[in-house]
Amino acid sequence: MAKTVIRKKIEVLVDMPLLSRIEKLAEQAAIKFFMVLPTRGGGTEQGRWYDDRVTGGAGTKVLFSAITTEENASNFINALEPLLDSYGIIVTRSDVEVIRSAKF
Amino acid sequence: MSLYLMAAIGLKGGVEVNSAGFTPDLIVAALAGLALSCLIPIGAFFALRSFGRLDAVNASAVAAHYGSVSVVTFVTGAEFLTTNGMGAAGYMVAVLALMETPAIIVGLFLASRYGDKSKGSAHQTRGELLHETLLNGSVVLLTGSFLIGLIAGKDGFAPIAPVFETGFRGILCLFLLDMGLVAARRLREAKSLTLRLTVLAIIFPIVNGMIGASLGALVGLDAGSTAALAILAASASYIAVPAAMRLALPQADSGLYLTMSLAVTFPFNIIFGIPFYTYLATTFAQG
Repeated sequence: MAKTVIRKKIEVLVDMPLLSRIEKLAEQAAIKFFMVLPTRGGGTEQGRWYDDRVTGGAGTKVLFSAITTEENASNFINALEPLLDSYGIIVTRSDVEVIRSAKF
Repeated sequence: MSLYLMAAIGLKGGVEVNSAGFTPDLIVAALAGLALSCLIPIGAFFALRSFGRLDAVNASAVAAHYGSVSVVTFVTGAEFLTTNGMGAAGYMVAVLALMETPAIIVGLFLASRYGDKSKGSAHQTRGELLHETLLNGSVVLLTGSFLIGLIAGKDGFAPIAPVFETGFRGILCLFLLDMGLVAARRLREAKSLTLRLTVLAIIFPIVNGMIGASLGALVGLDAGSTAALAILAASASYIAVPAAMRLALPQADSGLYLTMSLAVTFPFNIIFGIPFYTYLATTFAQG
C-alpha cells in the first residue's frame, strides 16, 4: 500500500476579481499545488449569488483550493486574515492524506 | 456571446473609421464622452445621497456605474439606429471605450472624499486596481478590435465579415434574451432595492440621455452620433465597473449596484430609452 502523509487542505471561497491577489498570497506562502474551481451559485447570510457570466465576475465566486504543509498553510491564512471581513471571504482548513508528499 | 458582440462592434467601428478617415468630430465626440463620464457620477452621487438615502460608499459605487457605459445597450442602440437609417459614426465605438473608465476614478474619489474612513479599508494594491480599471477585459477587447478594424480596413475585414456581420443580429437577440433572464432573477432576489432607488434607476437614464443628446447636438455631431452619445450617457455599466468596485469598495453592496444597473436601467433603456433618446437626438440635431 502506498505511503500517505498528512497535509493541510485550504479552501478559499472568493469573489472572482480578487482571485489574482489570493494566488499571489499563496505564492508568497510557498504553496506549490493549488487549483481554482468555478461555482454555479450559492448562498450566504447576505443572500444568493449566481455565476451569471455577464457582470465581469463581480457577482461570481470561485473556490481556490490548495494542499500544502502545516507551516505554509498557517502563513497563508495569516496573510489572508486582513482581507476576510472586508471582502467576505470564506476560508476552511482540513487535514488530508496525500501520496507523494514532496509534491505538496 | 458578449465577447463576440464586443469584438464585432469594435471591428465594424474600426473599419468605418478606416473608410471615413479621422475627422475633427472624432476628437469632439471623445471629449464630450469623457466630460459626460466624469460629470454624470457627481450628479448621480448627490441624488443617491439625498433622494436615494444611501450612505456615501454605496452612493459612490452606484454613481460610478451610471457614469460608465453598457456595451450591450450601445450595441442594441447602434442596431436600432442603423435600422432606422441614421447609423452612428464608426468612431463612437472609440468613445464607448473611452467612457468605460473615468467614472470609476470619479466614483472612488467620491468614496474617499465623503466615505466613512473608519469603516474598513479595501486593502487593494494600486497596481491591481489600475489593471482592473484601465485594462479590464471589455476595454481591451473593444479597443483592440477597433484598432484591428482600423488597420485591416474594408478589404481586410471582408474575409471575416460573414462571422461578424451575418450572425450579428441573431446573436444579439439571444444575448438579450439571456440578459433578460439574468435581470429578472436579480430583480426577484433584490433585497436592498428600495422604491426610491428604483425611481432613480429610471430617472438617471432619462436625465443623462437628455444631457447626452443636448451635448451631442451642441458640439455639432450628426443625428445618429448624437443619439449614440445619448445612449452611452444614459446607459449604466454592469461589466467593468462592478468588478472594479468589488476590488476597491468591498463594503459597498454589490447586490444593490448590480440590480439597479442590470435589472432596472438596462431593460428600461432597451425597451423605452433607446427610441426616446433617438427621438431627442433627431429633434435636437434638427434644432
